[in-house]
Amino acid sequence: MAAGLNASYMASTNFSMVNFSGESTRKALLMHRKPFTVSAQQADTQDYSLKVEEKEEETVQKEEEKQPKVMKSPRPVEPQTNVKSKNMGIEFGSEWLSSTTRHVRIYAAYIDPETCAFDQTQTDKLTLILDPTDEFVWTEETCNQVYSYFQELIDHYEGADLTEYTLRLIGSDIEHYIRKMLYRGEIQYNMNARVLNFSMGKPRVGFAYNDDQIPEEYL
Amino acid sequence: MQGRLSAWLVKHGLSHRSLGFDYQGTETLQIKPQDWYSIAVILYVYGYNYLRSQCAYDVAPGGLLASVYHLTRIEYGVDQPEEVCIKVFVSRKNPRIPSVFWVWKSVDFQERESYDMLGISYENHPRLKRILMPESWIGWPLRKDYIAPNFYEIQDAH
Repeated sequence: MAAGLNASYMASTNFSMVNFSGESTRKALLMHRKPFTVSAQQADTQDYSLKVEEKEEETVQKEEEKQPKVMKSPRPVEPQTNVKSKNMGIEFGSEWLSSTTRHVRIYAAYIDPETCAFDQTQTDKLTLILDPTDEFVWTEETCNQVYSYFQELIDHYEGADLTEYTLRLIGSDIEHYIRKMLYRGEIQYNMNARVLNFSMGKPRVGFAYNDDQIPEEYL
Repeated sequence: MQGRLSAWLVKHGLSHRSLGFDYQGTETLQIKPQDWYSIAVILYVYGYNYLRSQCAYDVAPGGLLASVYHLTRIEYGVDQPEEVCIKVFVSRKNPRIPSVFWVWKSVDFQERESYDMLGISYENHPRLKRILMPESWIGWPLRKDYIAPNFYEIQDAH
């Protein structure tokens, strides 16, 4: 992926959110240096959960890279107040950037967790809505696993163009990760879900796959 | 064995290579990319006023890309119109072929599709951009060395 054609992405090492807007915005965001809290409820208490993240200081990032075994801690953005639904300006072609599959919806926007206001002008943030149809039973821990994997992917794809293609790569990787969690028995199908079609394979009772039994294409 | 058009082109000193005849007996010619635009204009003047189809394919892994044009000469009172098939081969490193949009307008979307699927860039095409795949797509899906990204799709749903 071409790095930084037309200001579409970050050049510096670290960001959590792909950055679409111009240089000035990027610098403004670099001012935020402290890690933020998750701005939304978890999936098991609410219909859907959000994780919105933002940039962090570069040194923190470097430290994280030294210990790859440790799960990357998500760096959510701070909750915003008085968010209004806004579309992208006409100068961006009113582009709508998202990757939506059944369990993973990624939008290049800020979505308010309570009011669901959808601010598409904040394209320096990505919002992940995890499993909106409640196909799986999520706990706080498994949610955080997915979030940290999301963070890891975003750091990995840093420098790539912010396009649907990149978002779809990220979204697909998260879907594969969720399937792996399911095969390992870390999450279960929600039997009270509205649609029970077992979209990641039929449920198995009493055993979970070991790592070497998971078909290779799902790893 | 030389076809009619090939003989005519030889008579006028136009460089080409005869590839014989296809299964329907249509004459097939190979033309170099740098000659293609001028020969297209000459063929139009000769009488090939109808471009029946344009397509492209990947000849071999690591080999050339081909852009194929089927031309027909439509006239009144003719039930067996003259036809010819032109193949233009181009290297996959720098696949550039002059667009014949300004000769046969109907090639517009077909050249766009060839661009989208095989990455052949048609020079002087007025709006050469992807037509089937999303505009942000990376790679040329019908090339033999294309590797499909591991996108998630629902395959196991019941």
